[in-house]
Amino acid sequence: MRRADYVIKRVAFAIITVFVAITINFFLFRVLPGDAVRNLSRVPRASEEFRHSLEVQFGLDKPLWEQYLIYLRELSRGNMGVSFSNQQPVWSNLREALLNTIPMATLGTVMAIVIGIVTGVLSAWRRGNTSDHVSTNLAIAFYSFPTQWLALVVLIYMSAWFPSHGMTDPFLIDPTPWEHFVDVMRHMALPSLVFALTLYGEYTLIVRSAMLETLGEDYVLTARAKGVPQRRIVVRHAFRNALLPTTTLIALSLGYIVAGAILIETVFSWPGIGNAVYQAVTERDYPMLQGAFLVLTISVVFFNLLADLLYFRLDPRITE
Amino acid sequence: MGARRRPVTYLVLLPVLVLVLSACSGTSEEGGGTTGAGGVKQGGVLRLGTSSGLTSLNPFVGFNQDDYSVWMYIYPSLLQYDTTTSSYDYMGGFAQEWEQSTDGLTVTFKTVPNATWSDGEPLTAEDVAWTFNMIKQYEKGPTGAWAGSVTFLDTIEATDDNTVVATYEQPSGTALFDLGMTMILPPQVWEQYATGDGKAIRAFPNEPEGGEPLVGGGPFILTEYKKNDIALFERNPTYYGTKPYVDGFGLQFFRDEDAMITALKTDQLDAINEIPPTSVETLESAGMEVYKGLGLSLRDLIFNLDPEGQQRPELLDPQVREAMEYAIDRDAIVETAWLGYASPGSTIVPEGNNAGGVDWHDPSVQPLPYDLAKANEILDSLGYTRGSDGIRVAEGRPMEYEVVFPLDEAGAGDRAFRIMQQSFKEIGITLIQKRLDTNAAWNAMYDRGHYIFDLAMWDWFPAADPDFILAVLTCDQWGNWNDTGYCTEEYDKLYKEQKSAVDPTERQQIVYEMQQLAFKDRPYVILTYDTRLDAWSPKWTGFVPTIQGIFNNFSTQSLSLVHQA
Repeated sequence: MRRADYVIKRVAFAIITVFVAITINFFLFRVLPGDAVRNLSRVPRASEEFRHSLEVQFGLDKPLWEQYLIYLRELSRGNMGVSFSNQQPVWSNLREALLNTIPMATLGTVMAIVIGIVTGVLSAWRRGNTSDHVSTNLAIAFYSFPTQWLALVVLIYMSAWFPSHGMTDPFLIDPTPWEHFVDVMRHMALPSLVFALTLYGEYTLIVRSAMLETLGEDYVLTARAKGVPQRRIVVRHAFRNALLPTTTLIALSLGYIVAGAILIETVFSWPGIGNAVYQAVTERDYPMLQGAFLVLTISVVFFNLLADLLYFRLDPRITE
Repeated sequence: MGARRRPVTYLVLLPVLVLVLSACSGTSEEGGGTTGAGGVKQGGVLRLGTSSGLTSLNPFVGFNQDDYSVWMYIYPSLLQYDTTTSSYDYMGGFAQEWEQSTDGLTVTFKTVPNATWSDGEPLTAEDVAWTFNMIKQYEKGPTGAWAGSVTFLDTIEATDDNTVVATYEQPSGTALFDLGMTMILPPQVWEQYATGDGKAIRAFPNEPEGGEPLVGGGPFILTEYKKNDIALFERNPTYYGTKPYVDGFGLQFFRDEDAMITALKTDQLDAINEIPPTSVETLESAGMEVYKGLGLSLRDLIFNLDPEGQQRPELLDPQVREAMEYAIDRDAIVETAWLGYASPGSTIVPEGNNAGGVDWHDPSVQPLPYDLAKANEILDSLGYTRGSDGIRVAEGRPMEYEVVFPLDEAGAGDRAFRIMQQSFKEIGITLIQKRLDTNAAWNAMYDRGHYIFDLAMWDWFPAADPDFILAVLTCDQWGNWNDTGYCTEEYDKLYKEQKSAVDPTERQQIVYEMQQLAFKDRPYVILTYDTRLDAWSPKWTGFVPTIQGIFNNFSTQSLSLVHQA
């Protein structure tokens, strides 16, 4: 297969996926039982006409297919609409939330990758001995704990040392940039830690098995026979090849950073995209939901595509 | 706040009160934690936690209880409730004197002279008239969320800088509440949006921008707002009333209640507006102050009384509903489901619902006792015999009913359900819990003009003035606030009468009569009234807890009087 063909095919597939997701997102939330304006119109002093006026304002009085066409038209112009619940543009709501989520989730993911690779390599290296058993079992345990449970446990036991909610201390008056940075990092500590704990196990297991596979290869045996030092064998020969599946996994899991934030952000009241999605679901805020799911979809599809392309670049066998 | 019932409870807005505060404090003037002449420590910033959060700072958009409380603190209102008295008498806010004519058609307010908005613009009677005229002009659309404030209102105008006169098309028993407890907005900010079709009124975010606080006129001004995170308030230096002791307060939003409780225990917070019953013990043992008082909320079992929608005709029989009430062990629900932090419910107006100097809860209405023998006797007499499985059969079908259960009732509500489920089994009735997301629950109850459920459990967080909770059972609210399909001429007639009863004593009698009628007709069995639970650190004192907690929209007293211990 020619390289260009492969790339074009992958990109086209990604675009179709996004389009299908947009359509499903549009109808999915409208099929959910529940009503977008009911919440908003049910305030004690509201007039009876208020509810209807909201429906008209939001275009909910139009037939579904017309709403869908309007949605597509506006989306193609880059307009994601206006949030039902706070009347502000969806994109500005989302951008704010995303900018809050990305640093926390990135820190957590980087920690997970580092811990996962180190423990995975060590496990493979010391295969079969106690440290391998401990590390592998821990990895499986953290991988299987429900995220919100782990988050609550961390919160209860560690909030004496680190802030348990929010992103900054709002009462820190006129902080210097350094103080602000420290403050944000302190707030980020627990949610990022939970992020890292829930993710790292997967890396450990994949890195370990990839390492074991490469350590069993003939060229490793040859290197041993040649008297190459063990450390060099592991790092130079085995680890580099074991990175192949790891890279894919990293790219794939980056796509879920945003999605994975929902449970963690809810526990730690982190004002990010997960929190925004949670609130939008309870309020049936269709434009926010569509916008947030579009962002989720695009991030997953994008990183999948990236993984495909990276793999293509890293592993010449694919072109064969 | 979910959809239904939680949405804003009520209303009342803001300003503070000149009179009461000055009577209570005697000192004022800031200082970072200094002690004033009256021995009260000045200054400091109170960190207040809430699990509800703000939806929007725009009064025509926001719908959470916390939104309403914020507007109370940052905007003037003509009146407030004096929450330091148990009868919640009206007291002056931006109005110093007020009078309703005996025919109920004219209301006059004398406002505080020489007041200013936080941007230095004069705050006058003119602004009051402007606000209500704007609400009235757009009441069918953009300002619809506040349309109730201008019910029956004919005209409202400022006859001079400090006098506002409102005239009514018909006598209004709620005029003081409607006009008095609504926020007054600064026209210099809002006028530009209140033009044409008025759509811009709702599109305006009304958030602090470029480091400038929101223009306000209450005891505090809003200086910073981050969605789903925090709102920061500072004392308003231009406030016309007595200034609060604290330099400011912050409202922090928690998605998770456990996280919020932990934050209070670890000194990351100073106070929490509403804590769950399960956290009382842990907070008390951590040395926190926990307030336990009557709360303005109730939990109810709902019968679908829509004769065309109800598929189980026996439930339309008042005797069946009566039998079912006999099978409810309210004491067990209070003790087991609510850990003792509730009281047995009787009428739709909760105990402790005093407002404007009147006690609206009719104490003569008493819940039916828990009496399974009596319940069985009634059902036997109706000929609903038990099948081989012990379940009675009515109209050819087993008496097995689905109970719509919205998730905002989870926790204590689940436990209450199980208690009822057990005792109903004893009388040959099966209850099946149908748990649904709050928004979806309503759809499971009402569809295209009819109520389609068997039974439901839900709650009400009514307003201080009983007009709102009474309206819920009227035919006018069919498909809107009405969640039972109850609709009778007799009740509707009484509702209209109380709405027009200008004399509070006369109105009280009608309101009592409505409670008796609703109890007898039994569209609801009121299971319990909540105990209001708030908590704060012993480092603070002076809160004025109310039936709506320490951060409420009844008055601005609580956060004006709070100070460091």
